[in-house]
Amino acid sequence: MGLKDYVLKRLMFSIIAIIVVFIFNFILPRLMPGNPILFIMGGVKLAPETRAMLIRRFGLDKGIWEQFISYTWRTLNGDLGISFSHFPRPVTELVLKRLPWTIALLVPSVVLASTLGIIVGVLAAWKRGGKFDVAVTSIGLFIWSLPFFWLALILLLVFGFYYPIFPLRGAISIGVDYTDFFHFFRDWLWHSTLPILSMTVWNYAGYAIMMRNTMVDALGEEYIITATAKGLSDRVIMFKHAARNAMLPVVTQITLSLGFTLSGSVFTETVFSYPGVGLLTYDAVMARDYPLAQGVFFISAIAVILANLVADVLYARLDPRVRF
Amino acid sequence: MSRTSLWFDSLKNFWSLYKKNKKGLIGLAIVSIFITIALLSPYITPYDPYEWNVAPAFSPPSSDHILGSDDVGRDIFSQLIYGTRISLFVGFAAAITTTLIGVIVGTIAGYFKSLDSILMTFTDIVLVLPSIPIMLVLAIYLGPSIWNIILVITITSWTGVARIIRSQVLTLKERAYVDSARSIGAGNVHIIMKHILPNTIPLILATAILRIVNGILAEAGLSFLGLGDPTSMSWGMVLHYAQTCGGFSRGAWWWIVPPGLFIGFVAVSFTLIGYSLEEVFSPKLRR
Repeated sequence: MGLKDYVLKRLMFSIIAIIVVFIFNFILPRLMPGNPILFIMGGVKLAPETRAMLIRRFGLDKGIWEQFISYTWRTLNGDLGISFSHFPRPVTELVLKRLPWTIALLVPSVVLASTLGIIVGVLAAWKRGGKFDVAVTSIGLFIWSLPFFWLALILLLVFGFYYPIFPLRGAISIGVDYTDFFHFFRDWLWHSTLPILSMTVWNYAGYAIMMRNTMVDALGEEYIITATAKGLSDRVIMFKHAARNAMLPVVTQITLSLGFTLSGSVFTETVFSYPGVGLLTYDAVMARDYPLAQGVFFISAIAVILANLVADVLYARLDPRVRF
Repeated sequence: MSRTSLWFDSLKNFWSLYKKNKKGLIGLAIVSIFITIALLSPYITPYDPYEWNVAPAFSPPSSDHILGSDDVGRDIFSQLIYGTRISLFVGFAAAITTTLIGVIVGTIAGYFKSLDSILMTFTDIVLVLPSIPIMLVLAIYLGPSIWNIILVITITSWTGVARIIRSQVLTLKERAYVDSARSIGAGNVHIIMKHILPNTIPLILATAILRIVNGILAEAGLSFLGLGDPTSMSWGMVLHYAQTCGGFSRGAWWWIVPPGLFIGFVAVSFTLIGYSLEEVFSPKLRR
């Protein structure tokens, strides 16, 4: 099987996965006992004519197949329904508006966590079984076992309350007129330091452990013995020979772990009241806003499926050793 | 030799290996303490964890209330002792159901070639989906209860187990003794039950222990996000109330720090047990 067949196979998988999510979202409100209209339109008190209009719009007065066709059509046009708690604003608009805030948290924390994880992993693997290695693996294990949001809570308690260096909530100060972009950026960074820090910790452990393990494998390869025999320095062997080869799976892991990172952002944004998609999810849950929660799930699922596709293809292209 | 004595022998053999593992013993000791606390919780809690005004609101730790009180004057230490019972129960129950489904799917996929690709495609789809958003959507539809939390955790976490078991079954079914069993006319069910599954038990056990950690952490996360059962005060629920009922504006560290430490201790201990089991069962990992 060549690269083309492999890519085609992964593409098929992604399409099937998206269809499964799509059908899941359609079935869920209709599977629950009680009137699905309640789940789709909510307990919002509406004028009878608005209600009738909405029922017509979502095709809720028709049969299940017609509802499905109308649902498919609306989804293809980017219409994911109307939020109850922000009535009558559409779900898609709400999510898209919050998305930049979340991306502004995700990108720096993923960059920091992967850089730190790769460096620490390389150093730990170099002296395998040494003090540093043991410390790195035990701290990694400890971070994995703690409830992540609790770390964020502790950061907030220490640096927001006891030593109020950072604000307790939000992404920017309320009621400030920004003179220029730099002014705005500084205010955002002041608010975002703790959230970015907790997201970094959340992501770091996985990268460090993974980099350590692939690096240990790489150091056992024959080309390392060759490099040592050639009399190359430790530094060159460590970074130019071993780490470069060991990094590949870790780099694709960055794309693959998007789902994990998104889950982390729900907790981080909730703890710090940071107005991104994660906090939107939390608010949707608290308000039992079904369309909004499902919309967030739908969009994040699609993002994760596409990220996986990109990672698979990238990995196959970058690593000539991959056999399909 | 009878079957039971054989079983007893292998258990003794296992224990003599396990007790050499220091990390495993520490994990086992801490877990035993917490299980004892969970079993005895009604007898060792100084106060009713749900009763209001047993202390003034937001009182810091004192000799009467060693971990202080919350916004309505409930005793936090009692809440955590009761919480041990609930969090461990959810952890164990979710681990059992997750492992059960994972083993069934993994065995079928690994053994029957015709079903492998469809089952594994489905497993991979569930594996890919972002776990917290899918759990949240399911949980708001199902409503807050302990059983729904266990169900939601199970739906999202059986996939890892299925993958591990499948790859083990794939290698086991190529073994010579499976071939000879088949050649004397043994049926598929017989081969799976007598020759394949018994050989996966060590792996199943180690995975199941790590699933307990997953269950405890997932329950804490869901409860923290407000999807917990309001009538059962799990550790995650305590943190949820601390977050939403002014634990921060009062700087009530005694309300925020201890629940996380409880969760962390139990999770680390189970993880240590899980890793030690892996080391005992696969000699390659032994140092």
